Amino acid sequence: MNREEIREVLLEIIADIDEEADFTALDADKPLRDQLELDSMDFLDIVMELRKRYKLQVPEDEYPELATLNSCVNYLEPKLRDL
Amino acid sequence: MSDYQLIIIGAGLSGLAAGIRAARFGRKTLIVDQHYRPGGLNSYYKFQGHLLETGLHAITNFAPPERKRAPLNLLFRQLQLSRREFPVREQIGSEIIYPCASLRFSNDPELLQAEVEQTFPGCGERLYQLRQAVAAQDPFAELPWQSARSFVAGYLKEPPLENMLFLPLMLYGNAEEDDMALSQFTIMFRAIFEEGLFRPETDISVFLDMLVRQYQSFGGTIRYRAAVDEILIGGGSAQGVRLADGSVITADAVLSTAGLPETIRLSAPSGWQTPPAAYSGKMSFTETISILPDISRDAVRQDRTLIFYNTSEHFQYRRPQSLQDSSWGVICFPDNFAGSGSGEFFSIRVTNPASYPHWHALSSEAYAAAKTACRKEAVQASEQHIGSYGQAIVQQDSFTPLTIERFTRKAEGAVYGSPIKIADGRTPWTNLFIAGTDQGYLGIVGSMLSGISIVNRHLLA
Repeated sequence: MNREEIREVLLEIIADIDEEADFTALDADKPLRDQLELDSMDFLDIVMELRKRYKLQVPEDEYPELATLNSCVNYLEPKLRDL
Repeated sequence: MSDYQLIIIGAGLSGLAAGIRAARFGRKTLIVDQHYRPGGLNSYYKFQGHLLETGLHAITNFAPPERKRAPLNLLFRQLQLSRREFPVREQIGSEIIYPCASLRFSNDPELLQAEVEQTFPGCGERLYQLRQAVAAQDPFAELPWQSARSFVAGYLKEPPLENMLFLPLMLYGNAEEDDMALSQFTIMFRAIFEEGLFRPETDISVFLDMLVRQYQSFGGTIRYRAAVDEILIGGGSAQGVRLADGSVITADAVLSTAGLPETIRLSAPSGWQTPPAAYSGKMSFTETISILPDISRDAVRQDRTLIFYNTSEHFQYRRPQSLQDSSWGVICFPDNFAGSGSGEFFSIRVTNPASYPHWHALSSEAYAAAKTACRKEAVQASEQHIGSYGQAIVQQDSFTPLTIERFTRKAEGAVYGSPIKIADGRTPWTNLFIAGTDQGYLGIVGSMLSGISIVNRHLLA
C-alpha cells in the first residue's frame, strides 16, 4: 500500500468506528482524538481493526505514533508497504 | 484446545455487550444463560397478554447522537451499532417529593438548578458549585472509598436538600446502606441529573433483539436454558464451566456477570474459598406493576415520568425491618415519555425497599398472601402522590427480592449487587473475570460499559 491508500484505509476504519465522524475540517497534523472527539476506547478500536485486517501488532508503547493522521501514515507505511 | 476462547456467564446487558466486543474482534465466544430469554435484570415477560418489562423504569445517561463524548454514544460506537437508528423517547419530567418540599427535574439540568434556587433560597450557587465539582471528578480512578454524603454536605450545607437529591441517586444505583461511594455518586449524579432519562421507543425486547443480532452477526454463540452449575478451576486457572445437565465446556477465559457472591459460589467446589457474605448487598426491592384501562388515565397524574417520594424528612437508605417499606420509593409511569401514544392500557409501577430475609422466611402460602398485601400497601402509598387508581386496576403483578434472586442469581435479590466493587474485574484466577453490577458501573448504560471495558482491558488488549 502506498501512503494515499493507507490514509484511505485509516479514514475508512475511523468512519466505521464512528458514524458521526466528519473529516471535512480534519487537519492531518493535529491529534485525531481531539478533532474527532474520540475516547481512548475508540482509539483502541483503530488498533484492533489494524490487527484484524492486516495482522499488524501495535505495541502499547507505540500508540503515540498514531496520534495524528500523518503520524499514522508515517508509522504504518513501512509496515504495510508490501501488502 | 478449548471449545471456546471465551465463555460469558449471563446474557444480561453486561454479558451481551461483552460478547459483542469479543466476537467483533474474532474471539470464539459462547454466552450461556439459565433463562430462555436474554436481558437478565432487564428482561421482559408476557403477562395476561401484556408485554411487561422486568426491571426497566427509564434508561439513564440520555445524550443526543451529536454529543460524542457522552457514555451512551461511546457505548453505541463500541458495539458498532448506529445511535441514529435507535429511536428513543425522553422523559417528560420527574419529581422528588418530600413532606415539606418538592423538586422537579428533567433532561435539562437547568430545571433542577432553578427549582433548587426557588425552593431553597441561597442554595442555587452551592448546587452550581457541587455540579462543577462533580463534573471535575474522575469516577473511574481506582481510589479508596470516599463518602458521598460528606462530599455533598460540604457543598450544600442544607440537609433537607441533600436528602432530596440522594433519594433518586441511591434508589437507582446504590448497593451500600446509608452512604454511597463518591465515585458511584458521581456516576449517578451525571447519569440522572446532568444527562437524564429516556427509554427505547418501543420496549426493552427490541433493544435486546438488536444486541443479540449484533453478537450473532459477529459469529458469537448464545445458549439459553443453560444454567452454569460450576466454574471449573484447575492448575490455578479457570478451565471452563459445567452446566446443570452435566456437560462440560472448556474455555481459555471465563467472564462472569452473575455477581460476585454467585461467582464465588460457582467456583467454590474447585477452590475459591472467600466467604461470599461480605459481597452480598442488602438493598433489594419489591415492585408492584398495575395495568389500567386508558379511560382511567385522568384519575392520576399524567405530567410526570417518575415520582420519587419520601414521607419523612429524613432519608435512611437501608434494608427495612419488615417485608416492605412503603414510606419511600419511586412511582414510574412507563407511558409518560415524550411522544408515547396512548394505547388501550397504561401501567404504573411502584418500587419500594424490601427485606430479603423477611421474604425468605415465609412459607409458600404466606408468601403469596404477603405479596398481595404488599401490592395493596404499595398502591395506597403511591395514591397519596398521584391520585386514586386502585379501583381501576385490571391486572396486577409484582416481584420481590426472591423473584429477583431466582431469575437473575443476584444473591439476596440485591439488584445493585455487592457494596464492595471490583473495579478491575479481576479474581484470584488470572483468566476468570467479573463484569456487570459488581464491577462497579450500574444501570443499563453502565453495566454495558462494564462488560465492554473488562473485555477491552483483559481479553482484547
